[in-house]
Amino acid sequence: MNAARHYLVFLQRCGRIAFVGDWRYYAWMGLLTVVSLLGLNAYARQMADGLISTGMSDQVSWGVYIANFTFLVGVAAAAVMLVIPVYIYNNEELHDLVIFGELLAVAAILMCLAFVTVDLGRPDRFWHLIPGIGQFNFPASMLSWDVLVLNGYLLLNIHICGYLLYCRYQGRKPAKWFYIPFVFVAIGWAVSIHTVTAFLYVGLGGRPFWNSSIVGPRFLASAFTAGPALIILALQIIRNVTQYRITDRALLTLRGIVQVSMLINVFLLLNEVFKEFYSGNLHIVSSKYLFVGLHGHHALVPWIWTAIAFNLIAMVLLVLPLSRSLRWLNLTCILSISGIWIEKGMGLVIPGFIPTPLGQIVEYSPSLNETLVCLGIWAAGLLAYTIFLRMAVPILQGRLSRANEGRSPDPALDGTAAPEVAAGH
Amino acid sequence: MPLPDSSAPLTGVTRRSFLRGTVALSGVAALAAALAPLRRLDDYTTVERFMQKYYKELTPDEMARVLARITSEVEREYGVRPHVRDLKPMDGVEFVYALNLTRCIGCRKCVHACVNENNQSRNPEIQYIRVLRLPHGSLDIEKAEHNYAPESVPEKGYFYMPVQCQQCKNPPCVKVCPVHATWQETDGITVVDYDWCIGCRYCEAACPYWARRFNFAKPSLPKDRLNPEMAYLGNRPRRQGVMEKCHFCIQRTRAGRYPACLEVCPAGARKFGNILDPDSEVAYILRTKRVFIQLKEEMGTSPRFFYYFDV
Amino acid sequence: MESDLPDTRTRWVLRGLFVTFAALAAAFVLDLWRHPVSSAVIPPVDPKFLDTATVRRSYADLVRAKEDLSDFDCYGCHERGKPPVLAFDANHNLVVPEVHSDVVMGHGRHNRNNLCFNCHDENNLEVFQTRDGRELKFAESPQLCGSCHGPTLRDWDAGVHGRTSGYWNRSAGPIDRKQCVNCHNPHSPKFPGRAPAPGPHLLHPVETTAVEPHGH
Repeated sequence: MNAARHYLVFLQRCGRIAFVGDWRYYAWMGLLTVVSLLGLNAYARQMADGLISTGMSDQVSWGVYIANFTFLVGVAAAAVMLVIPVYIYNNEELHDLVIFGELLAVAAILMCLAFVTVDLGRPDRFWHLIPGIGQFNFPASMLSWDVLVLNGYLLLNIHICGYLLYCRYQGRKPAKWFYIPFVFVAIGWAVSIHTVTAFLYVGLGGRPFWNSSIVGPRFLASAFTAGPALIILALQIIRNVTQYRITDRALLTLRGIVQVSMLINVFLLLNEVFKEFYSGNLHIVSSKYLFVGLHGHHALVPWIWTAIAFNLIAMVLLVLPLSRSLRWLNLTCILSISGIWIEKGMGLVIPGFIPTPLGQIVEYSPSLNETLVCLGIWAAGLLAYTIFLRMAVPILQGRLSRANEGRSPDPALDGTAAPEVAAGH
Repeated sequence: MPLPDSSAPLTGVTRRSFLRGTVALSGVAALAAALAPLRRLDDYTTVERFMQKYYKELTPDEMARVLARITSEVEREYGVRPHVRDLKPMDGVEFVYALNLTRCIGCRKCVHACVNENNQSRNPEIQYIRVLRLPHGSLDIEKAEHNYAPESVPEKGYFYMPVQCQQCKNPPCVKVCPVHATWQETDGITVVDYDWCIGCRYCEAACPYWARRFNFAKPSLPKDRLNPEMAYLGNRPRRQGVMEKCHFCIQRTRAGRYPACLEVCPAGARKFGNILDPDSEVAYILRTKRVFIQLKEEMGTSPRFFYYFDV
Repeated sequence: MESDLPDTRTRWVLRGLFVTFAALAAAFVLDLWRHPVSSAVIPPVDPKFLDTATVRRSYADLVRAKEDLSDFDCYGCHERGKPPVLAFDANHNLVVPEVHSDVVMGHGRHNRNNLCFNCHDENNLEVFQTRDGRELKFAESPQLCGSCHGPTLRDWDAGVHGRTSGYWNRSAGPIDRKQCVNCHNPHSPKFPGRAPAPGPHLLHPVETTAVEPHGH
């Protein structure tokens, strides 16, 4: 009972701290809330009018919602990139940062679930998906696998972060058996969430653009490029805003991961391009549409070549020692993330539908309402991540701990107090 | 050093928390207001519809109640009292469709007869059948023209191929549906439980024949064109956000009749029947005609739709 | 060391947020940026494209409908025992007499079959004759067509050529099999072309400025 009460106090303090900060915090959270509300309003419109308020059609029946979903599953999977060096290679430098990575994974998975929900025609029937209560088509449908692995990954990460943070709050050492096994499961599970998402596409024999064995490896390579790149940027922001100690060495370790992954990603791209265009058989029409246009339709061509340019420039920069400097590294990260977002979004989902299996070409561009919903979900995700960090950083710095419970006003809410305990455990 | 609290009121509300509280309240108000468009949602769902069980789990009593509810809903909306039945598949029947590509003239009457028979939405337009115009000598779908509009059909140098759900023996759509909302019945028809579908459109992505349609908006059909002879798995009016497709006119074929597309075809290009009956037209065709095309045979879907030629 | 008053910048940010949220709430409730969902105005299809009637009616149809059969009363004008004489022009093409001007001959490639008495019996105008000397009544016209078009007759017999309607399940009801003349004009059997029904409309109409080569 006592333990439950302590936990409730912990939660209450965490909750309160989310609403307190300096003017920059309020401005940032305020902006994100406004965008989220615009998105929510746009979604309410979509619920009322139907999915006709998006740019989708019977010809292109998945659009930016699923594109963002695919990208974000990759980001969530890439949180494991921090876990591997820490727990397998015992890289102490990255130890605490694992939590930041896993919190990003939680936020990313929440965004994924949101993107899938807004894409549904009948979200009121979500309960049909619940195993045991509804009719869960497992193991035949890859979507059922996705439901399981995504929710499992979410729970896994919430458990690991939650447990580690609560132990730190209580000032006690976490019991290894209560989190280490889960961490190792999470490594494998992270690879599986993205592989299952890839299999969603690969398993469709009727769409030759997707029905290729390179899609799975490509997904992982691009996820492990964009994910750590996002984490590099996020860690620098955390460092700036909270004075949490993050060494450049940690950032450069992550750079190493991005470097290798990007090289693999570009190599796989070359493989794809060769396979599609060298033999000249008829199944390559979607690739033609994407890279050079088809029958006068070429809306995606500038996008994919921009993405390829970004990725190639980023790859070159990553290989050069130039990108060891933070300014260049940040540019490289931004280029990688943008390039991969375009590639996985427009470059994967849309060409699978153009032309249709009956040869019709109907192009797609998201409607304003659809874009607002996407921006709203991104804002809500960033909002969630900011709240997670707003709770986690003071805990890791020791400013929010059991030791200073019960004092009024709550000393954790004062952003200028010096950390009582050095970071790192 | 704490500053003197000049504004500590009796209620204990400080100015800081007052300002933050007001902002929070206005945020909550904005959140509630953001949901305003939901006012436009009428008839989205009721408790009864929300709780409705899966088709295969409905007892005969529950099905009777569901049919009664559908009957009254349709009557309320369209002013016509429909006759809604739950027709079961017949034993010893497996439906097969054969289409004679020598005879099809591309007039598209089948498309519209289907729309009329199956109560499809006119706006947004839903048509189960898509007629392709192909040049002589090639079955390359990339050369297909969907929007031909000449003065007169057939046009020289072309042939026409109507495509609709092929009711595959090995249907990819059934495999991928996460909630079993679509499945194949014993008579070969792949059906959709419109009240179970969650609208994820995975089946639409999976179908190699582009045969499935989604209700992107509330379907609209004119009241005077409603076909009141309905089946639960067939042509009863659908809702916004669910999938639909050709079901071989289940409300006709399970009552022993020909589908609407076949009856309207002026060239007699369409043939339909029970392949398990050796005296049926379709058994005759598969026995005697030399060349059949099963579209995209290499997909392994094993369609129950056979295209053939006379000459 | 927590001050009761947030610093000035924070206060202004908070006040700004309050105003923004309030304005947003108002804008939502007033539906300020409602985008009407653009959909094409699709005209209802012409009912002729839904019509299941055949283009012609057979002799049997006319008898069943108790229609006026005076057109088939050949000996109302012709004389029994006096076979009609055919007229030909300079190119050996049949000249259809004025009284039968509704008959336009065009049977077979190069009009090979443009001879009345290939099918009609000049000695008994109320029946048909086949090339192998069989006599057929008007209602048995499919056998006449089939005397030359054998494979087609075989298919028609099996229900595979031509139009059918009614019941595929014969124990539930009858099949209604149309005869040759329900679709084909026996004197000029080739199907005339017809205007097709309108093509499909896109969910989101696109302004097309030019027709692409393949019309996609």
